[in-house]
Parts: sequence; C-alpha cells; structure tokens
Amino acid sequence: MKIFFLFLIAALLLCSLNGLAQVVLKGTVKNGPSKERLSGAIISCTNAKGVVRNTTTANDGEFTFKGLPPGEYDLKVEYVGYGTYTTSVSLVENKTTELEISLQQSIKELVDVQVFGKLSQEEDAGARSKEKRSNNIVNVISAKAMERSPDINAANVLQRMSGLTIQRNGGGDEAYPIIRGLDPRYNNTLINGIKITSPDDKSRYVPLNIVPSDLLGSIEVHKSLLPEMEGDAIGGTVNMVMKDAPEKEVFKVLGSLGYSKIFMDRKFVNFSRKDIQQKSVIEKYGPSYVAQPGDFSRSNLDFKGITPFPNTLAGIVYGRRFLQRKLGLMVAGNFQEQYYGSNSIFNQAAPDIHAGGAPTISDYANRSFSTRQLNGGLTLHLDYALNEHNKITLTNISLYSDLSQARVIVDTSILGGNGGRTVPGTGPVSTDYTSVTSHQYLENLKLEGKHILSKHLLFDWTGVFSYAAKRTPDQADLAVNKKIDTVHSTNDIHGPYTFVTTPNYFDVITRIWQHNEDKDYDGMANLSYRTKIGEASSLELKTGGLYRHKTRYNIQDEYDLKPTTSSSGIKQQYTDIYSAQWTVYNSSGTYDYDKNKYRLFENVTAGYGEFKLSFPVLDIFGGARVEKTEQGYTLNTFYPTGINGVNKKYTDILPSIDVKYKLNTITNLRFSYYKAIARPNFYDLVPAPRLSTTSATTTEGNPYLNHSVADNYDIRYELYPREDEQLFAGIFYKKINNPIELAYINGTTYEPQNFGNATDYGAELVFTRYFGNIGITGNYTYLHSTISSTKSYYDLTSGYSNPDTLQKRPLQGQTDHTLNLSLLFRNKKRSLFAELAFQYIGKSIGLVYPIYGYDYYQRPQSNLAFSAEKELTNRHFTVFTKFNNLLNTPSVYKINGLLVQRDITKLNFSFGLRYQK
Amino acid sequence: MQPGKLYLIGAAFVACLASCSKSGDKTTIITPTVPASNPIAPGNISGFVKGTFTTGNTYTITGDITIKAGDTLASQQGVTVVVKGDAQINVQGTLLLVGTQTQPISFNSDSQKPGSWGGFQCDSAKSVTIQWTHIDNTGGPDPSGSARKTVFVNAPINVDIEDSWFTNGQDDLLRMQSGAKVTIVRNTILCSGSTDGEAINLKTGVTGTVAYNVIYSQAGTGVKLETSSTVPLPQTSVDVYNNTMVSCGWRRGQAEPGRGVSVGLNAKGNIYNNIMVDNYQGLEIFVDADTAKADLKYGYNLFYASQDTYQDTTQGGNLAINIRGNFYPSDGVGKPQSTDLISTKVGDQDPLFKSFDGKVATPNGAATSNDFHLNSGSPAIGKGNTTYNNDIGAYTSDGKGNKH
Repeated sequence: MKIFFLFLIAALLLCSLNGLAQVVLKGTVKNGPSKERLSGAIISCTNAKGVVRNTTTANDGEFTFKGLPPGEYDLKVEYVGYGTYTTSVSLVENKTTELEISLQQSIKELVDVQVFGKLSQEEDAGARSKEKRSNNIVNVISAKAMERSPDINAANVLQRMSGLTIQRNGGGDEAYPIIRGLDPRYNNTLINGIKITSPDDKSRYVPLNIVPSDLLGSIEVHKSLLPEMEGDAIGGTVNMVMKDAPEKEVFKVLGSLGYSKIFMDRKFVNFSRKDIQQKSVIEKYGPSYVAQPGDFSRSNLDFKGITPFPNTLAGIVYGRRFLQRKLGLMVAGNFQEQYYGSNSIFNQAAPDIHAGGAPTISDYANRSFSTRQLNGGLTLHLDYALNEHNKITLTNISLYSDLSQARVIVDTSILGGNGGRTVPGTGPVSTDYTSVTSHQYLENLKLEGKHILSKHLLFDWTGVFSYAAKRTPDQADLAVNKKIDTVHSTNDIHGPYTFVTTPNYFDVITRIWQHNEDKDYDGMANLSYRTKIGEASSLELKTGGLYRHKTRYNIQDEYDLKPTTSSSGIKQQYTDIYSAQWTVYNSSGTYDYDKNKYRLFENVTAGYGEFKLSFPVLDIFGGARVEKTEQGYTLNTFYPTGINGVNKKYTDILPSIDVKYKLNTITNLRFSYYKAIARPNFYDLVPAPRLSTTSATTTEGNPYLNHSVADNYDIRYELYPREDEQLFAGIFYKKINNPIELAYINGTTYEPQNFGNATDYGAELVFTRYFGNIGITGNYTYLHSTISSTKSYYDLTSGYSNPDTLQKRPLQGQTDHTLNLSLLFRNKKRSLFAELAFQYIGKSIGLVYPIYGYDYYQRPQSNLAFSAEKELTNRHFTVFTKFNNLLNTPSVYKINGLLVQRDITKLNFSFGLRYQK
Repeated sequence: MQPGKLYLIGAAFVACLASCSKSGDKTTIITPTVPASNPIAPGNISGFVKGTFTTGNTYTITGDITIKAGDTLASQQGVTVVVKGDAQINVQGTLLLVGTQTQPISFNSDSQKPGSWGGFQCDSAKSVTIQWTHIDNTGGPDPSGSARKTVFVNAPINVDIEDSWFTNGQDDLLRMQSGAKVTIVRNTILCSGSTDGEAINLKTGVTGTVAYNVIYSQAGTGVKLETSSTVPLPQTSVDVYNNTMVSCGWRRGQAEPGRGVSVGLNAKGNIYNNIMVDNYQGLEIFVDADTAKADLKYGYNLFYASQDTYQDTTQGGNLAINIRGNFYPSDGVGKPQSTDLISTKVGDQDPLFKSFDGKVATPNGAATSNDFHLNSGSPAIGKGNTTYNNDIGAYTSDGKGNKH
C-alpha cells in the first residue's frame, strides 16, 4: 500500500515537470446561439506534412496546444450534435494565438455514432446527447458526473439515478440494482453491452460494489428494450460503459484517503488471515482422510479490536491514439481499500399466539460487523481501424475483490428453546463469532469487429469469454453460550433480585469451504441495412443473433467441531480459542454429499429482426426477438430419493416498438412497448438450503419455478433546454406473468415461487437546471405495484385457519416514493465544483411475513452526501473531497410497529488529489 | 406515408406479436430411477427393501436401506440386526418391529460405539411400531453433516414405542413432530446424547402418552414438550406420567441445563407421578408454555437429590450446583404442588431405588448397572395420582409399569 503511494507521488511529480513551450494555440468553443461553453469538443490540428495533434475542450470550453512548431495549420473542431467547423491558422514564434469558435447545432441525425463516432459520454453533454438520440428510453450518467459525485463505486452512483434503488445486505457489501421497484432478478447488468458472469454464488447478476466508478466512462440504464438487446430485463438494463480510447492523450492519476467514523467510535474487529487454509481438508488430503482436530486453524477465530488504516483509493488512467489515430488505447486501473462496518439491532420475530399471530420478538440480537474490502480493477481497450470501413476492438476487464469480515452476534432468546427470558436482562445468551474471507474474480474478454460492407450494409460481430469465480475458504463460526438468571435476595419472589451469569460454554465451531466458478462463451453477429427514403427520411433494417453457453459449478464442504468433554461428560467452558479443545464431529466433511455441490448450465440462443423508420419528426423502431433458453442443474452426488437435478426449456417471442416524436430540436416524446422475460436465478432451482448471512432465514431453491414474462408500456417526454440540462417526465405500466418472489414455507425457510400476476406502474421525473453557477439536478419516482400471495390467520383453538387467504401487497423491494435532489455549484472559470446530494427512499417490503396483515418493511430513509473539487491554478491538479451519510441515517426494518432490524453505518469521508495531463 | 398511418401499422404489429407470442416452461425433473424393493433375505442388505426379518436370524445392513411408501419393514421376535458403515434405515412406509419379552429384537452397529449408525429416519413414514427391541449406539452425523435422531418422525402418524431399550445414542433419541400421535411407554433410555440431545423430544402438534419410561443420564432433558417460536400451532399436548428420570441434563453445561421434564412454548399436558432424582433441573414449566389451568396440570411428582450440591469441575471452573434448589427452576413458572414429594435434605423422600451408584454426571456411553425398581418402604409407593397409578415412578406395584 505504501509503495503504491510512493509511486503515485512520484508519478504526480514527474507529470508536473513537463510542458514548457514557446508557441501556444488557445481557444474557446461555444454553442453558436446560446454562447454556452462546450466541454469535450474534439480539436484536431494538422500541419503541412499531415501530422495531426488532438485535444479536447475542458470544462470551461477552452483548449490549448503547447509546443507546436511555428507554421500553417488546419484546425478542425468536432462535437456531437453540431456541424464540423474548420479553419486554418498561422502560428508565429513566441506568440499566443487565441481563437473563439462558434459551433452550429446540426439537426441531422448522426449516423453510426455508436460505431465510429467520437462522442464522449464521459462528459455530461455527451450523456444528454445519448439520451436524446437513443432509439429507446435511456438514462445516462457521465464519468464527469460520477467523478464529481460523492460516489466511489457503481452501486453508489446508480442509486442516484431515476427509478433506481439499491438492494444491499446488512453488512453493506453486495449491492444490486432495483429498477422501477423490480427486484434485481428482473434486471440485467452489462459491461460494454455484454452480459457478464457473476462471481456471486446464488444469483446471475454482478455485485455493483465491486465495480470502481473510476473505470467507467458512463452508465446507461435502458428502460425499454430494442429487439437487438437481450430480453431478460423486465425492469431494465444497466450497461456500464468502460472508458474508451480518447481522441486526445489522457493521463490521469488520482489518490485519496478517507475514514469511516464508526471506527472512531468503536474498534474494528480483526482476525488473522495467515493460517487460513485455502483448501478444505478433503480437497487437500483426499476423500478417505479422517479429519483431525489439528487440521483446523485457530488464529482466524482469534478476534482483536484494532484501529484500522485509513481507507485508500488510487487510480490511473492512460489513453491515446497511435498510428494516425488508427490505433486507440485505453488502460485504466483502480485500487480501493475500504474499512466499513455496521452496528445493528437484529430481532427475530415470531407469531404471538395470544394475539392472533401478531409478531412478537422471539430473539433479541446485537450484531456488529467489521469489513475490510479490497477492490482492484483493470480495464484495457484497444481498437484498430483497418481503414475507414473496418474496425476491430479488443476489450478486457478484470475485477478482483477481496473481503474480510468479522461478525459478532450476541443473541438472547426471549421465547422457546431451552427457556427464554423471564425479566429484562435474563435469558440464554449465545454469542457467535464469524470470520469470513472471500475472493471474487471477474474476467471479461471481448473481441469485436465492425465492417461497413457497402454504403448500405453494416456487419458487426462479437466474441466473448467471460469468467467469474468466488472462493470463500474456511468461513469459521464459533458459537459460545451462557445463561443469565435472577437471584432473589429475599424470599419474596416479587422482591429485589440480582443477576447471575453462568460461565461461557463452548457450543460448536463450524467451518465451511465454498467455491464456485462460472464460464460463459458468447458469440453475436448483426447485419444492418440502411437506406434513405427521399431527402430527409431513412429506413434501417437489422437482424442478428446470439448464442451463449454457460456453465457453473458450486462446491461446499462443511465440518462441525464439537467440544471435548470433561471426565464426567460435561461440555467444556470457553475461555479463549487457543485453549478450546474439540473433536471433529463429521470427520469426512460434507464434500461428497453436500446439496450445495452442484453443476449447472444455461444455453441461450436468440435471434431478432428489427426496423427503424426515421422521418424528420418521427422515428419508429420495432421488431421482435426470439430467445430460446435451456437451463438446469445436476447434483454431484446421486441421492436415492428426491430430486437430483432439473432441465428446463422455454422459448419466448419478444416483440417491441419504440416511437419517438421529435416535436422540435430540443423536445422528444416517446412511446414504447416491449415484452421481456426474467429467468430464474441459477441457484433458484437448486433445492438445497442456504443460510442467509443477513437475516435468521434459510432459502431453498425450487426446481418447479417458471420464468417470468412481462408486457411493458412507457411514455416519456424529454426536453433538452441547454447542453447539460434536461427535463424528463414519464409514466410506465408493467404486467408480469409468473412473477418470482421469495415465499414463506415453514419455520424460517423461504423459497422462490411464482405468484400468478403482478402489476407495476409509476411515474418518473428527471431534471437538471442551471442558474448561473448554481444548478439543481434531481429525480423523483413514484411506484405502485401489486402482487397477491397467500397468508395465514392464527387462531388459538383451531391452529392455522384460512391458509389460502390472498393478501395484496407491493412487490418485495419496491419503494413508493424516491427522491434524489442535488444542489450543484460550478464555477467553470475557477474550476470549482461542489455537490450536495439528498436522497429520500420510501418504504419497501424486505420480506414477507406468514401472517395476514403483516410484512417486514424497510422504513423510509433520508440520506445526505457532499462532494467538492477544485482545480489548482496550474490546471493539472485537482483536489477533491467526498462525504457520505452525513445524516447518520440508520436502515430500519419493522413489522408494522415492531422493530426487527436497525443498522447504523455512520459517516464516511475522503480527501484526494487528482492529476490530469 | 403519414405518421398517423404508421402508428396504426405499428399498433397492429404489436397486437399481432403480443397475441402470437406464447411461452411455457418445459420442466424435466431429474429423479433417480427407484428400483423395485428386494424382499428381505438373510445376509447383507442395502438399498430398497421390504419384507420381514424372521425369528432366530442375524441380518447385516451394509448400506442405507429405504422402505418405500407402500412397503413394510417388519421383524419377528428374536432377530439380530448388525449395521455396518454408519448406515441408516429410511422409512417412507411402515415400520413394524415386534419383539417379545423373552425374545427381544436387537439393532446395533458392528463397532458398538456411541453414534456409529444412523437409526430410523421415519420422516414421512405411514406408521411406526417398535416393541421389545434393543436399539443401541445410534446417532452422530449423516454424510451431509446433519445430526441424526435415533427415531425421527415428522408426520401426523401413529407412533407406538413400547418396552424397548435405547442405549448410548447421540443427539435426540425419540424425536417426534408435525402432529405425530405417540404412545411411548415402558421403555428404558440410558446414557444418551453426547453434549446435547433430549431423550424424548416432542414438538409441534404432537399428542399422546409418555408413561412408565426410565431415563438415565441423558445429556439434555428427559421429556421435552414444546412447539416452535415460528410454528407455535397446533399445540403439543402430552400426558407424561409415572416416568423415572435420573441424572439427566448435566452434559450440556450450566448455560443450557437439562431437565427431568420441561413444558415449553405453547405446549400443554398432564405431568404426574414422575420420580426425578439428581437431574440438573427437575420440572420446568417455561414462561411461554400454555399455563392455563385447564390445559397444564401437574403434581404428585417426587423430587430427590442424593447429594446437596454437585461440584462441576469442568475445565476452568469449580462450581457448586444446588440440586435441590433446581427442582422447580427459578427461571420457570412451575410451583411446588402440595401433592408433590419434595426432598428437603439427603435422606428425605429418598425413593429407595434397588441400586443406585449416586453418580450425577457421567459421560455419554458410560457403563451403568443401576436398578431403579423401588425397595419396599419407598415413599413413592401408594402416593400417586390414582387417575394414572397408585404409585409414583416407572416401576409400580400393580405390574402396569416398566417390565425391564
């Protein structure tokens, strides 16, 4: 870590030394009518010999060429959505030449911007332009906006986008998008338009918190689907676009230091990783080996409070074009080390039989999590234009995430088991200490080619290899228990008492080794035909297909260590991990028989045909896609009874149509219909129990689960008053057939099931408006969904009754009102930017409760974050700061009035420095 | 073309595709092909079987056996079954083991070590009958790591377990739940449970009778009645009478003391005429039991401690436990009844067992030779609730009691 910082400082110093020149060409690029300064315009300067140099305009619309030899130059200025501007200049020694360039907006639709264009979505204006021009309903956030926001990973960024909230688990790790109230299972996540495998062992989607936002060029959220897009996105598609090769050389280094306030208030609970065995006993010694007590390490169950290092973040980005702009290169690396934690109250609810099954607390628990997460990311982009008509692009994305988490859970039984609580302060108390380390890897290699075959024909192809893996070696859990009782000091049973506590007893240690690995092979090809119809209209026809073959394995091996007993057979007291003595209860592990040891596959074959009719005031885009899915799993070990696997086949025809009325150059009105599906998550089909890390529940797969199909309707009004301003207002309606949700089975077990039909509708409003230096950007989403599931009533005399009573409720995870409001301050002249971001998230169902009239609701939250950056006078250095969770907002879950969970994560802040050449 | 017209065409196109797109899931569940059950024959047995073990023969079970839903596994008297390789007996059909006093049946592992075979996993059985049968050294983990009960029933069926012996098991011995209707009478359960496990653990919705059983040195509780916090209904309702419970509940340690009898979450019943000697705790009525007077009745129970305190010298501690103080534990709501026989000092209300070594805590699987019949002059004789029996304890003078 220290070495990295030394390197960073050295790099920064080196960079500040160059750049002394004699001839200077400066200029400002503005929007013709409004005189607004345009950032991100591409300026190419060609000398008499044809040597080209490029640059782009900065935030204030200014550009500078230094160190040019004196002479005659052709200057070309390009900016997406504007006509190209050309001029020639004559540069004289020891003189600064200044130009002011006005660009005129072009109403002509740009052709092939996505293929050969030079649009930079990394700028806000580029993002707006993408939204405006796109064929479907899209929201885009630019790299610039992410850089200046308080956010450091994709999950944080996305939660500020319209219609999105983020589903997190209690520890703060693993974050997935909920789009328009629809659970992550209804959405897909892409990188550069390609589906990526997930290292997560239960879902098909990538945890967004392992994607550093500094690697991203932009994030697009597609809320309607085109036939050319994959159809498993009922809620929408999140496309994380990695940084692309720039027109002008880019070199950027950044570093920041931060801290989480929670560790100013309490210690970070740490454990040693040095003795953790990467392989389980069976994996190491083979199946006939009998595990011995000494095969299990102790130091990873030796927990100590420490003061953690600061959170660190470092990034480097380099990109330029070589060989007369034919070869583009972009490399971005990012490293983050974060220490975060949570303090929680976590109460288990159970039906109170004396109150018609109304929930009451059966267990009261305090949980504190301490997490160290190390994220690394490296992206490489290479593109080569063979000529004007043929271009090959190679992209590679590698992400690595390494997590160490210590969990301390102190649980007091109030009801049941071996007796509960008599008076406050008493009861059986079990303390669980867990150490988890996990390594997640993600690798995505993509090779694509685009070929203009003729004036009318464009062919493109893509081949992808995608790999993801997660290893959780030796998740160790130590359970210790004691009991607190009262002792009365008088004979009066209602009289005064004191507490007496038994010693701690060593209950059990469990050790679990888990790993999974995914491999995807994808092939895609598309052929488009374009022709003009008359002077101002055009027709585009496109067809293509996709084939993906996916495999995954999951392996789990668990050992239980039980205390040795005294000579009289009594269980051992627990003092510390080094004096604990155990026997191996299941000395051959569960490796061979674990139901979580399985292989699965998924084959998707898809084809589509689509058309686009483009008129001056109207674009119509439509077509249909056919997706054929085969998916299933098989257990590795044959069970003589029960289910050993499943195979599923289904084919869907997914029509869609998008209509865009271009009321004028700054206004669009869109209508859209599309049909989409949601496939069961991979693990959803496997009926093996999995204990939740975040709640006292177990989830089992359901091999009878069907996929969901939905009809989706959208209307959106879009206004683009100025370059980086917007006003969107839209409404949508979705009808989902066979929606999948977690359903209560019994005890504390849940399984995914289909629930007839669900509807989901809502409205979204997005706006950005600047008043001089002050801007306001925000979005508001209203959502309403309905699904019916069966609930029980409780009746003390007859037990359960009316078990088939349907209760209407919202979809799990759907919020009612979501508001994001940011106050922006920008002074382009002084290069000072600041953002104060407020977020309100309405209530949503966290989990269904089995009794009619009750559900687990996450309570509304209000969050405040702040970020600011200032470019230093030499224009290369920028200092920045980010503050998150300024209001110390807890995450609270209640069942009606009953508090079941309250997580506190506290303020998090960082300060950093960025160098930009 | 007019935009309006185009829109119409578009709408028609959508309507057409929407109506003609139909999708259904074709699901193929991969289940093993279950072979026909083999009739039982002397020699090695494994796989799917049905039929009868016949008198005088010895059978060896070499791998898990399964009795399918329509099938029966029966045993005549005087049969010996040896189980190898930690195998277990899965019963989806009917289990019918009928031994006699003179010719009992025996199930034991080849190694004869505690926890060395899997017992009877009758989760979804149609009925379970076990009479005059020795079932020894069961329990321990199955290959997937789960603890195995000796006889496990998880269905609303009739369970009849009479006059049988269970020795040196691990985990729960007789575990019934989900509405099983039980008759568990005149059995002897010895030295079972490693550091956890109840002798007779009756959960969610179990009803029936537990009587005349002798339970000695169980890790956890002798007879435990409860539902669960997540599934508190239907209630567990059992009559527990004339059992003798000695030296139970020590091996789990003070944080989870075991009891002679406990009535927990939303359970009810009649608890009468039991002898409880040297258990960690005696009769525990938990706060969350169904304590309505009409639902839960108890009395005529004899509580005795053969020593004033037990000195727990487990690693790191030396704690004196007042056995008499725990007859009705302070964390429960159970109260001494006027009909109870409650010892106030060593020698007072001593039930006068034929022989008792007075050992309080002993390891799982320890050898034992106690005899809990009563000597004449025992205060338990003639002091019982006559609805159940004139006497207290498992061995009664009317001959209805335990025959071991």
